[in-house]
Amino acid sequence: MVLSEKEARPVGESKPRLDAREKVTGAAVFGDDIQFGNALLHARILRSPHPHARIISINTEKAAAMPGVKAVVTGEDFPGYIGLYLLDRHIFARERARYVGDPIAGVAATSEVTAEEALDLIEVEYEVLEPVVDAEYGASPESPLLHPRLQEYQVASFILPQANSNISNYFKIRKGDTEHAWDKCAAIVERKYRIPHIQHVPIEPHVAVAKVDESGEITLWGSSQSPFAQRNLIAQALGISQSDMRVIAPYVGGGFGSKAGVSMESLAVAIAMKVKGRPVKLLLTREEEFFTAFVRQGLIAYFKMGCDENGKLLAMQNKFYWDAGAYTEYGVNITRASGYSSTGPYEVPNVTTDSYCVYTNHPVGGPMRGFGMPEMHAGLEQCIDELAAEIGMDQVEFRRRNCLRDGSILVTGSKMHPTGLLQCLEKTAEAIGWGHKDEPSAANKRRGKGLALMWKAPAMPPNAGSSAWVELAEDGRVTVGVGGQDLGQGVFTVAAQMAAAALGVPYEWVHVATPLDTRYSPYEWQTVASRLTWSLGNAVVNAAKDARKQILDMVAESWDEEIDHLDILNGMVVSYKSEREMPLKDIVIYGLPKPDDQGWIGGPVIGRGKFMPDYVTGLDPETGQGERAVVHYTTGAQAVELEVDLDTGQIAILRGASAFDVGKAINPEMVLAQIEGGFVQGMSSALFEKLDLKDGYVQNPSFVDYRIATSSDVPDGIQAMIVEVPQDDGPWGARGVGEHSMVPTAPAIANAIYDAVGIRLDGPPFTAEKVYLKMLEAGVVK
Amino acid sequence: MNAYPKLPEFDYIKPDSYQEASQFLASHAGEARPFIGGTDLFVQMRDRTCKPKYLVDIKGLEGMDLITFDQARGLTIGAGVNMNRVIADADIRDRYRLLADAAESVASYQLRSRASIVGNICNASPAGDTIGACLLLDGVLNVFGESGERQEPLKTFFLGPGKTRLQPGDIVTAIHFPLPPNNMKGSYIKLGRNQLSDLAIVGVTALGYPESSVESGYWFKLALASVAPIPLVVDRVGEIMGHDPISEASLQQAAGAAMDTCTPIDDVRGSARYRKIMVRNLSYKALKDVWGQLSED
Amino acid sequence: MSFHRISLTINGELERADVSANMTLLDLLRETLVYTGTKNGCSAGECGACTVMMDGEPVNSCLVLAVECDGAEILTVEGLAKDSKLDPIQEAIMEAGGVQCGFCTPGILIASRALLDRNPNPSTSEIRAALVGNLCRCTGYLRIIEAVQEAARL
Repeated sequence: MVLSEKEARPVGESKPRLDAREKVTGAAVFGDDIQFGNALLHARILRSPHPHARIISINTEKAAAMPGVKAVVTGEDFPGYIGLYLLDRHIFARERARYVGDPIAGVAATSEVTAEEALDLIEVEYEVLEPVVDAEYGASPESPLLHPRLQEYQVASFILPQANSNISNYFKIRKGDTEHAWDKCAAIVERKYRIPHIQHVPIEPHVAVAKVDESGEITLWGSSQSPFAQRNLIAQALGISQSDMRVIAPYVGGGFGSKAGVSMESLAVAIAMKVKGRPVKLLLTREEEFFTAFVRQGLIAYFKMGCDENGKLLAMQNKFYWDAGAYTEYGVNITRASGYSSTGPYEVPNVTTDSYCVYTNHPVGGPMRGFGMPEMHAGLEQCIDELAAEIGMDQVEFRRRNCLRDGSILVTGSKMHPTGLLQCLEKTAEAIGWGHKDEPSAANKRRGKGLALMWKAPAMPPNAGSSAWVELAEDGRVTVGVGGQDLGQGVFTVAAQMAAAALGVPYEWVHVATPLDTRYSPYEWQTVASRLTWSLGNAVVNAAKDARKQILDMVAESWDEEIDHLDILNGMVVSYKSEREMPLKDIVIYGLPKPDDQGWIGGPVIGRGKFMPDYVTGLDPETGQGERAVVHYTTGAQAVELEVDLDTGQIAILRGASAFDVGKAINPEMVLAQIEGGFVQGMSSALFEKLDLKDGYVQNPSFVDYRIATSSDVPDGIQAMIVEVPQDDGPWGARGVGEHSMVPTAPAIANAIYDAVGIRLDGPPFTAEKVYLKMLEAGVVK
Repeated sequence: MNAYPKLPEFDYIKPDSYQEASQFLASHAGEARPFIGGTDLFVQMRDRTCKPKYLVDIKGLEGMDLITFDQARGLTIGAGVNMNRVIADADIRDRYRLLADAAESVASYQLRSRASIVGNICNASPAGDTIGACLLLDGVLNVFGESGERQEPLKTFFLGPGKTRLQPGDIVTAIHFPLPPNNMKGSYIKLGRNQLSDLAIVGVTALGYPESSVESGYWFKLALASVAPIPLVVDRVGEIMGHDPISEASLQQAAGAAMDTCTPIDDVRGSARYRKIMVRNLSYKALKDVWGQLSED
Repeated sequence: MSFHRISLTINGELERADVSANMTLLDLLRETLVYTGTKNGCSAGECGACTVMMDGEPVNSCLVLAVECDGAEILTVEGLAKDSKLDPIQEAIMEAGGVQCGFCTPGILIASRALLDRNPNPSTSEIRAALVGNLCRCTGYLRIIEAVQEAARL
């Protein structure tokens, strides 16, 4: 519901974060901070040392007999399948280990050290199998099958596994007539890009504590983006009722998608089931964090695109082989999301896309900020630059001519809604000084500028819902209940702002009920997809409006006035007609007397609201065409100016500029902070990050050799800009931006490197070595 | 790679004298290790690549925390002096600037609060940032051992990655540097993946000073990190830079000699090929920088 | 394994503890004495989330043995504020929008406080160098750098 007519404050104001003070004093409680006392047991996991192996036997006797060991479990104990979109995984591996790190057994003991020692006593016999370590090979008929029973797995209706293959999802776009469009093209670019696996690297590693009491009720505490989804998936896997499980989710020290769905949380629950009554904690080491929870899938992408002599895009042909890892229960949807976004934010009349989700014996690919968009745009936006160059057109002008506008026909045949993409492009190009080149800072440096556009829709089932409640107290202050999590992006703060605006109370009166607790918090699908400001926001607004209606109905009756003459301003109910006023605190618990003083009206006020989009249609499985594939797209642009060091190949990012169309910035400073933070994470993935996989083994699972951006690497300034073209069904027109700012950075940097020294690489990271050796090969240096 | 959540079990020993410490270490050879900051050791222990039964904390021993500079004899840095103190010390900044600069490139301020120059040396990683400066400044280790005190010149100290001439019972008490030649200039260039911090993919330490006994009038020295099993001093550089009046040609020739002398390997941080070329490029840069500083005087 | 009785001061308060040799200062803080403000991000001295001040200098508490802290003065994030009055660096980082998930924040605050103690007017490059051992994945660092500059002014 758009409340654009109504006085919006404090929506649109940069209110201070609700949780800042707790965080700066060290008082904020994260998963590993919760105190459980001496009853707490510690879990450690025995993991497969092989990327691919048959599990012949497991002997846990000696481990179980160790003093201090309270439980040893294996896959034998838990036959259920678990998964979000595709049930292809067990809690502990059964029959086969499919990646290095696959959980084989779990131990709970009175100390971490004891648990660790017990792992050494577990005897596992493996039959080592040949691993599949390339997605194209994995997709080919020659490859051994990693999931021979793929066709038997339960699967969401919009995911299309291919029987007797390693392809757990195959998404197609067949739009127009690509085959015959090439002849009409004045220029064609064909490229292959390899995007490596990376990891989210939340500074807080995954942690989960589970306790099962005598009655069988399970409580799970954890660093979690998705308490309700975790409850749902784990309950289903264990064959219990969702209501018999409770998830409590305190502050999250960084998620970026890694703490969505279920990764290691099910292990803690499973082990806890064998030690009734005692809480069991599983805390990942940083090394485990790098590859045993979720990673970002690798991608082999083939692009072919062509345009006419005026630079109008005529055709695109894409093939995406997603190296999705051992289990693709979550990752399958990346295949689909990339498919229905495979043109990038451009209008292209003829499109052929084949997007494959491929099983490999690599770590488990899951949701990571951007959900396939950074990986795809990394190559796509470079091809756009190259195509522009082919016909001698400026890269910004080329994008100006092709970028989406209101009413453009999308890759799925749907229509684009109003969007500020063009504004984002113009503002970004201007901010970076497009067309003007400054002198390099030294003789051994070369300067370059590069730009890239992006788009992304929330990738989720068509019926992902949000709900909220709003409760008032005797002091007139407000508590908002939500099921969406604050990962640092500021959801609790904007929820409070929206509730305050929709109800008519000061922001300072609003408090959000935390920590999230499925027993008390209202349902939220997951905190992913940049969906909360829009979806949870709508639910909060509906709940606040519901509370407001209850209050004004009560007052209207008690004062014998028309409801249209009444309002709530700053916590005060006022009548525009009689000029009577009354503070909320006098109304919201005890009700009001009847006009004749013979009895009472109303009572405790609790508002409730929900939001679930009702208009997402399916897509034709053969063509990927449909009426409305997604709820909306957020679009944006980024540009960088950088220098390449000719002596070493090192890249220094001098400055960045970035604009996103967020519809309405509920809290502008926090939106800018997301734009900056995403830029840096994108920059980090572009320059440094890669899970170095060799024959299925991660060679660099530590900060020593998996480098991320430090304070010394960030540019002097990132000019972040907000564009606001309202979303028709967003609260005050808002749509999300949490993921989007990480998407265009790698191609913007790649394009800038090309501008500086005329070379392109086959994929990130653009390390100094890769840049230098390519410059050597190209004759730029000797 | 299999890092555990916690350190393994061990006994912590805090001796009151060098004698006590040395005797304990000698009589528990193979099971006991001395430590100062522990920043390398604890990481190795958590990985279980190293599981000493006894850790002997020697940093409180007499003189460990002293920096003494004497106009006649030179500089002595106690083994327990942390790198931040070295970086900030006025005498070191004045006469041994190269050492301060190399130390400042190490890791982070927090790590440098605990890491020491001597610790860096005893760890004997070929990637050690400060080792090149210590070698070129003719550092000598004071060692207290079973058979008494002795000196170990750095140039013969390193035997291989992680291997030195130290024997069980040995404790390095300090590192001593003679007075550097007047008007000595230096440069440390470190190639890491991030702008700051990180390990050296390649590290080049160069120094030079006026020297009338050679034709060019200047003596140069160069040491390399991360491109050989031990920190590598390239003697040829001195000969080349000393031979003819210094020119572009001599700089390039010296850089080429450095490249030809080193033997880097391929590893997860970089390829041998790239490292060799970087040795050439960065040696050139470092030598040119030193030459530039000398020319200004 | 050896056990040791130690006395130390934490945020101005005298504490006593019996520690095993292999317990780190971080373990002592978080598990024994329940100062959970200081965080564990990597146990390897790389991320800085465990940064505390020891005798006035910032250290990675995951790489300091508890037994080494006998007689030491430790400052953790919980000790920055005095009687509910926040330290300028705490105020500044909130004001600048330099707090998102908050997990790196305690370490960042201690490292920043230490910088300002030794260099009351640091340049941008000095701030970057001082914080290079504190990894942040959310903010992109710019607002943190701004906060340190602002705190220097206060």
